[in-house]
Amino acid sequence: MKPDEQKRIFEEWLAEYRGLLFKVVRAYAFTLHDQDDLFQEIATQVWNSVPNYRGDCAVTTWIYRVALYAAMAWTKKEQRHRDNQQSMGSDDRPILQPSSHENPQLDWLYEQIAQLDGIDRSLTLLMLDGFSYREIAATMGISPNHVGVKLNRIKQRLAEQLKKVQENAI
Amino acid sequence: MQFEDLQVIWNSQHDRPLYGVDEAGLHQILRTNRVRFQRFLFWQHVQTYGSTLFVLTAIGAILIANSFGVADKIDSLRALAGWEVVALWVAMICWLQFAFAVYLGEKMRKRREQSNTHSLREDLEKEIRHTMYEIKARRNPLLGFIPPYLGAALFVLVVFGLTGISTWFFVVFVVGMVIALLMESRSQRQLAEQKMTHRLRDLEILQEKLVDPKS
Repeated sequence: MKPDEQKRIFEEWLAEYRGLLFKVVRAYAFTLHDQDDLFQEIATQVWNSVPNYRGDCAVTTWIYRVALYAAMAWTKKEQRHRDNQQSMGSDDRPILQPSSHENPQLDWLYEQIAQLDGIDRSLTLLMLDGFSYREIAATMGISPNHVGVKLNRIKQRLAEQLKKVQENAI
Repeated sequence: MQFEDLQVIWNSQHDRPLYGVDEAGLHQILRTNRVRFQRFLFWQHVQTYGSTLFVLTAIGAILIANSFGVADKIDSLRALAGWEVVALWVAMICWLQFAFAVYLGEKMRKRREQSNTHSLREDLEKEIRHTMYEIKARRNPLLGFIPPYLGAALFVLVVFGLTGISTWFFVVFVVGMVIALLMESRSQRQLAEQKMTHRLRDLEILQEKLVDPKS
């Protein structure tokens, strides 16, 4: 693939699916610096993936797959990095800034997703974005039955948490 | 409370942006990267112009000394033969061509990228064009490096002849020069394909962040 063609596709994908990438970023990284770093990492992986896309799945599925695997790899790498470093001081300013629109319910939902482990987090994002069990299974490389079992547990857990919050609010 | 309520919360983010872009932060990163990149290019230019100056000074000194008949006053030296004077002039022209080509390319690039505004988007665009130029300039470096290597070979041939060093040493020297030329070309190509292509991609990703930052 010629670099110009790769660049054109990459730009189209990033413009079209920016929101999807931000969701993954927010689910896997919790400080602005980390979110910025993860966005950069995911964008790089999406760029690298352009020549490998053969059109045998929807672009959304492809980008979700690339973004989730990049996020999981980044999480592992960051964990190791943090284990080896006492201080994470940095003078770099993050490029991404949170929007001024406040949405406490959404913040709460992201907090709940953040408490799940890596694969469950990915499954939850895909489920909430309307992917079928079969599509999720294909994206994550696990069986549809396994996806069903895991998602039922996750749904139950999230619904219980939501119920608790609403009871406390009352 | 049903799970569907969570779906409603999740979908609420589609109506409003999750993130904006801190343009001041992005501009700062861009400036820092540019300073680093320009420092790297500065040292490359120091090598080019420095080596040219060194060779031209040495050749100039030999030619001047020869024209003033210095060799007649020193027993261990002899006057330059006609072909040696021609070889030294050709070597000078080769090195001048090399330095001039680099200078002209830089000047044309600067003229193309000349811009009075210093907005983030302008700066980003300028950096992308500059990096693309540097990549293009290094994609086929072999031809560009032949003149200075040829010039150096001619210069050394004359110096070896003047000092009476065996021609066999010159053959070994030429083989070394050919290997060095191939290695230099390879290293410049790798520089373009790896370091500079990475930089270009990073800049393009930064540029993408500026396009419609809504999620």
